[in-house]
Amino acid sequence: MSKPLAGIRVADFSWVWAGPFCTLQLAHLGAEVIRVECRDRPCVTRLIPPFADFETGLNRSGYFNQYNQGKRSLTLNLKHPRALEVARRLISRSDVVAENFANGVMERMGLGYEEVRKLRPDAIMVSISGYGRSGPERDFVSYGPATVPLAGFSSVTGYKGGPPMHVGISYGDPTAGLHGAVAVLAALCHRQQTGEGQFIDVSLWEASATLLPEALLEYEMNGTEPPRDGNRNPHMAPHGVFRSEGQDRWVSIAVGSDDEWRSLAAVVGDAELSSPRFRTLADRKRNEDDLEQRLTRWTTTVSPEEATRRLQAAGVAAFPTMTNQDVAEDPHLNGRGFFVDLPHPEVGKRHHAGVPWKLSATPCEVAAPAPCLGQHNREVLTDVLGYSGAEIEALTAAGALG
Amino acid sequence: MSGALSHLRVVELGSGLASAYTAKLLGDLGADVVKIEPPSGDSTRRLGPFPAGRVDPETSGLFLYLNANKRGIVLDLDDAADRARFAKLVDRADLLVHDVAPAQLGRCGLEPQEVTRGRPRLVATAISPFGVSGPYRDYRAYDLNLWNAGGIACLNGGGPGTDDLPPLRTFGHQALFQVGLNAAVASLGAIFARETTGAGQHVEVSAQESLVTILELTYPFWPYCQMKATRLGNKPIQPLDFFECKDGWVFLCAVEEHQWKTFVETMGSPEWAGLDIFGDRLQRAANWDALKPMIATWMAEQTVQELYRLLQRRRVPIAPVSTMGDLWSSKHLNARGFFVSFDHPRAGACRAPGAPYLLSRTPWTLRRPAPLLGEHTAEVLRELV
Repeated sequence: MSKPLAGIRVADFSWVWAGPFCTLQLAHLGAEVIRVECRDRPCVTRLIPPFADFETGLNRSGYFNQYNQGKRSLTLNLKHPRALEVARRLISRSDVVAENFANGVMERMGLGYEEVRKLRPDAIMVSISGYGRSGPERDFVSYGPATVPLAGFSSVTGYKGGPPMHVGISYGDPTAGLHGAVAVLAALCHRQQTGEGQFIDVSLWEASATLLPEALLEYEMNGTEPPRDGNRNPHMAPHGVFRSEGQDRWVSIAVGSDDEWRSLAAVVGDAELSSPRFRTLADRKRNEDDLEQRLTRWTTTVSPEEATRRLQAAGVAAFPTMTNQDVAEDPHLNGRGFFVDLPHPEVGKRHHAGVPWKLSATPCEVAAPAPCLGQHNREVLTDVLGYSGAEIEALTAAGALG
Repeated sequence: MSGALSHLRVVELGSGLASAYTAKLLGDLGADVVKIEPPSGDSTRRLGPFPAGRVDPETSGLFLYLNANKRGIVLDLDDAADRARFAKLVDRADLLVHDVAPAQLGRCGLEPQEVTRGRPRLVATAISPFGVSGPYRDYRAYDLNLWNAGGIACLNGGGPGTDDLPPLRTFGHQALFQVGLNAAVASLGAIFARETTGAGQHVEVSAQESLVTILELTYPFWPYCQMKATRLGNKPIQPLDFFECKDGWVFLCAVEEHQWKTFVETMGSPEWAGLDIFGDRLQRAANWDALKPMIATWMAEQTVQELYRLLQRRRVPIAPVSTMGDLWSSKHLNARGFFVSFDHPRAGACRAPGAPYLLSRTPWTLRRPAPLLGEHTAEVLRELV
């Protein structure tokens, strides 16, 4: 059975992370995603580590290769008028157009939505940006790491009494990318019913602020800012990450009911934990410092894996703090076939994160590794766009394919 | 104007956030969503926040946010008659989304082969912490455990001199939101495919796997360089850090050479900024323990909004550390119509975050507030007859 989006073509002008993460979802679902890249200004993720075995190269970055699996690469020098002709032809033959440039860049190239809909009336265009395409701050400079504090995450994340903290990743990027993919898919369903295309404006700020309802509504309902409180949770205790046996090793433990608490106390074996001081959630919140110290006395004597095994066997939610190595080597993830190791011409087989969902009737395995820069120029120009050999030579000679 | 998904009937059987968020995404774009709650009510009814701090299962902010645009019915799936009603409801649905624990699937006929039997056009989406196969299949996990299992918690917290602090979670329920988003992507893919294949299918979504896909560049450091990602604190380039101003915090991102130069000029070109040990972004990172306090001293005299606007005018990426109050009063968010208002019979007039995206032809809409417990039970059961 062919994949869900078989026959859907995406002209992908996006770069860095948010846009490519959006189109990765479409590629996973079987769309033909053609990334338009520029040799003069390659995707930022092609230029930064990790490079395979520390050897730099435009096709060797794990960051790029992770987020562009299954896509094709067409290089165009979009400053060249003939390259813009190629871009327009690509758009006219695409169902979806994706971009995440700074505000106004697509319009200045004559590739804004007003032009796109002339080329392809039923096109769905998704435009992803830090601030969105309207509003007084739409022209502000937006870098991924700064959208995390901008969206509100940092003011409510951090240790008790400490400064605001980050997430550790540019969380607004994948969050906007996924929301963008949801919107594109909904728009495709609408087009399937009506034949109509449309324009979709996704801002990293808004897409991620929608994931802070508890904090925003606390302020709306009560006028208070939720305090930074480490790993604790007002509705659960214990709720934390505890030091384990070993160097910088940790285990997360969360208890959501008094039953779970009694199970945990039995595993830990500290008689004091069975005292009335810890009986109810209110008791445990009142004595949480002492509770955490007693729990740590136990967790430091066992590995995170052993603590997890024993607590899970008793019905208590626990899991080791996984590093990137732990994730890559995890027997569960490997056993489920989550990783993708397709041979890449320059970096060989590497263990990439794959598709986090499984469809029973139209399976969605990653079809190909990430493309090398310009790898598909000839086949896209010939098979998709219908240029002759002589025309391709002329485009090359004119410097349009740079 | 009808929504992009007005032609879809969705049944949501969930506990908490994950499948509620999937169904919210679809309902906000027009789908007819029926949410099934147990007689005791959904768990988010107990989480709040509550107006004036008064606990009331009908006014929990998180529940109201997640379940606007849905109709709510109560079914007791331990009761045979209600199980039959549930089956009938699913019979006429386009999509069922649930987060029933893998070990419990048999209880309500939700095993992958079972749920689609006799329902050839149904898309049935199962969300779980670790998927429906593999050694962790039956592990229990709250949001905090998932954030650790997916490798994100270990990227935050700690840092120079504070290695004794534990890996740090992110506020809220981010793991559950992420898996909910992924479930929406996969479900809509299956719905789209149905128009051509005529057939529905089973969709399985793992929260742990969803999180591993967003580890950014940190994950491939292992397969590409056999390097373990370390916790925050030692960044390869700077400035990329928080600073405290007179009236709040900012995050400065002046990592390109021209941005750094503009920032130094804005500070009045102090002599120390020209020292060789701060000569490029790698050196600024290597000597960050010396550089940061000097920048911090200057920052402490600034006000957040003035500095934000001044540096942005000069094209230096900087952002305020927005408080919730800042977000509600943001001119930008309000100009874009990000916040919406609703009137709820028990919670009264309330504002909430609105559209995560603007669709030009089939916009995100708020059509009705979240249901009271069992508000639509009679209405929906009548439709089944």
